[in-house]
Amino acid sequence: MPEITEAVRTSGLVKRFGQQVAVGNVDLVVPRGGFAGLVGPNGAGKTTTLSMVTGLLRPDEGTIHIDGIDVWRDQVAVKSRIGVLPEGLRLFERLSGRELLSYNGQLRGIPRDEVLRRSGELLEIMGLTEAADKLVVDYSTGMRKKIGLAAALLHNPAVLFLDEPFEGVDPVSANTLVEVLRRYTASGSTVVFSSHVMELVERLCDWVSVMNRGRIVAQGPLDEVRAGRGLNEAFLALVGARDGEGTSGQEGLSWLGTTPR
Amino acid sequence: MAGHDPEVSTTPNAVPDPAPPGVPPVPPLTPPSTRAGAPAGAFAGAPAAARVSPMVFVRLKLRLVAGNLRGSTQRRLGFVFTVLAAIVVAAFGFMTMAGLRFVPPGLAVDAVTVLFTFLLVGWVIVPLMMFGLDDTVDPSRLSLFPLRTGRLATGMFAASITGVWPAATLVVTSGAVAGLADGIGEVLLGAVAVLLHFALCVVLSRLATTALSGVLRSRRGRDVLAISAIFVVLAAQVPNLLLNGGMSTDPEVLLGAMASMLRWTPSGLAAHAVAGGGLVAVTGIVVLAALVAVVGWLWIAALRRALVTPDASTEGAAVRDSGGLSARFLPYGPLAAVVGKELKYARRDPRGRVGWFAAVAVAGIMAFSINNNDDGGAGGIGLALAPACLGAAMIAIQGCNAFGIDGRSLWMNTVVYGSDRDWRVDIAGRHLAVTVIAVPLLVLLSVVAALLAGDVLWAVPAVITAWGVLGVGLGVGALTSVLLPYTVPERLNAFTGAAPGQGGIAFLASFGALIGTGLLSLPILVPMALGHLWVCALAVPYGVLLSWGARRVAGKVAFARYPALLEATSAAT
Repeated sequence: MPEITEAVRTSGLVKRFGQQVAVGNVDLVVPRGGFAGLVGPNGAGKTTTLSMVTGLLRPDEGTIHIDGIDVWRDQVAVKSRIGVLPEGLRLFERLSGRELLSYNGQLRGIPRDEVLRRSGELLEIMGLTEAADKLVVDYSTGMRKKIGLAAALLHNPAVLFLDEPFEGVDPVSANTLVEVLRRYTASGSTVVFSSHVMELVERLCDWVSVMNRGRIVAQGPLDEVRAGRGLNEAFLALVGARDGEGTSGQEGLSWLGTTPR
Repeated sequence: MAGHDPEVSTTPNAVPDPAPPGVPPVPPLTPPSTRAGAPAGAFAGAPAAARVSPMVFVRLKLRLVAGNLRGSTQRRLGFVFTVLAAIVVAAFGFMTMAGLRFVPPGLAVDAVTVLFTFLLVGWVIVPLMMFGLDDTVDPSRLSLFPLRTGRLATGMFAASITGVWPAATLVVTSGAVAGLADGIGEVLLGAVAVLLHFALCVVLSRLATTALSGVLRSRRGRDVLAISAIFVVLAAQVPNLLLNGGMSTDPEVLLGAMASMLRWTPSGLAAHAVAGGGLVAVTGIVVLAALVAVVGWLWIAALRRALVTPDASTEGAAVRDSGGLSARFLPYGPLAAVVGKELKYARRDPRGRVGWFAAVAVAGIMAFSINNNDDGGAGGIGLALAPACLGAAMIAIQGCNAFGIDGRSLWMNTVVYGSDRDWRVDIAGRHLAVTVIAVPLLVLLSVVAALLAGDVLWAVPAVITAWGVLGVGLGVGALTSVLLPYTVPERLNAFTGAAPGQGGIAFLASFGALIGTGLLSLPILVPMALGHLWVCALAVPYGVLLSWGARRVAGKVAFARYPALLEATSAAT
């Protein structure tokens, strides 16, 4: 059995889409409490991994344990323990923000008064009170992320999984999200999120897992992974971008920047 | 409908885009960067407006068509089918038009007038219904390129007439020349009139989409249009009902009346210009040409405005009350949550509303037309039963893909449900929501059908049986929902109900559900048809039992394969 100090542990996780191996033998480990970042270039398998961990996608091989419970064996126990904000942010578009929260609360069997209280506070802290009775379909990206996070937090989960929570979010909303998440982790809960924004990962996380081409290439406490460098530099070195793309493109662009007149 | 505009068809959820028959699918073109519409002349630091020939737009259009076909057998088959359909329509239409030579001249002109009008109206309406501006049409995609508005308009006109359906329209309308004109003079004038009418079709259609492109890009505008699609379907039934309803026993008289009404419309002018010759024709042609010029000018003006008008799709202040009726009558919990959400969706989601309208409309039309066709009154109670049961089946069929409308938001339910019981409750909630709307609706439908059939008391067995059929249909629908799920596109149009590549599944699911409902209703319907009316008392228990059993099975299946369910209902559209 996995040690109980781990919030998430996967072993030998594999997912193939036809010929393509999206996730190949991933052993993701996240300690309990605080922020854990899952970073990697586009197509590294972050979303696929998070989907399998949160029970939205069935893995081809491997096991996943959250708080020591097998995700695909005891779904009732796991699903009441986790909160999820998948990528793409498809919400129930024709409900208002407030209705979305009460729908979630009712679906999860939280008492009505408790749902009202919690959703009122969540809407307030997310700055969504004014927009609470507008349909989600008319929300901006930042508002969608905030209402999505509010819905994921409503049942006070032990572990929260967020896929690109800060993508396309304005700095003000991002700040709100970070503040809410900080309060959430302060009491010992765990946030696992994937991101491209290295500064944010560096600022928030105490644990980092780096994925590339469907594998974990580095994993551990932030300081261990970056080994004295900036996280961005360490990341580029880990995914091997230095020798490949991006640096030696000067020769082919001689016309760029010259004005014809 | 021959007015089917090809421009709107390159969106994946529309029928595969047609191109002129015989045109090679991938014409050689400038580098791939032109795919986004970069005009060839824009290279080399061209300082001022680029000089782009309309041919660039034509090739862009063909390139888009070809690109859309790449890598998908289904779309390629659909494309072949479209081309064949267009050829058949063109040939059939041309021969019909040319065949008018053999009917009295007055009648022939009337027929051409009405047909031309249908084409013109079709060209304006169909692109709006199937909205999904493709890259050659949406002016905002082209707004960053250095093109003068006039040149842009010429190019977009050229792209607009590139396609299977424009070619088919041209072939069909030129049939009028063969059918009406006598002598070389009339043929020449007729050809000009036909070309002008064709140009008017295209320009008017462009004007409509361009002028409305702001509206069409907003969420509310699309909602309204999605609903209006249903009225077009209904409007198409009007002549049928009128003919059936004995408005006029003689189609010729009806045709004459319609044609005289349309005499001075552009289509009427064109038809008479082809037939009349002489001064009448010349005058008609001059008026038509002026009209094309004016509409063209309006189009350019609309285009100019559309290019600098921002996308308003993120605005919209929809504040609505959040009170749910279900909350008052159902115990607080998942079941009430699902019922409340489903009822809100039936009201707020255009796809939901369209489904309900369609079911009621089909049943209503059925009620009217079977009564009209049955003058002797021999059908008796069957005339009340049939529309009610059909209405129930149509309503239940909407549930044949119960998770389709949730689509990509279904994950929100799946991250909560941890057992097959949860799924069963979810499906029960959906059924309950449908029942809440359907039960009174079926009462209404049965009463109307019974009144039309001649005895209002027939409504009682009719409605009881219809409720039973509804139960059967819901049960069958629960099974197809979990076994054959598919994605319902967010941008609904009147012509397709599934994401690209899932048309077959959608067809199987809806026809499977319809046939299954029909077969499983037979134990009730057959004895009733044989005269044992008391069997209708068993209809409701039978329906309830069947749907309960189906929910048990569907709940187990759904829990076992919900990742597949998620994937199937979240396909890209």
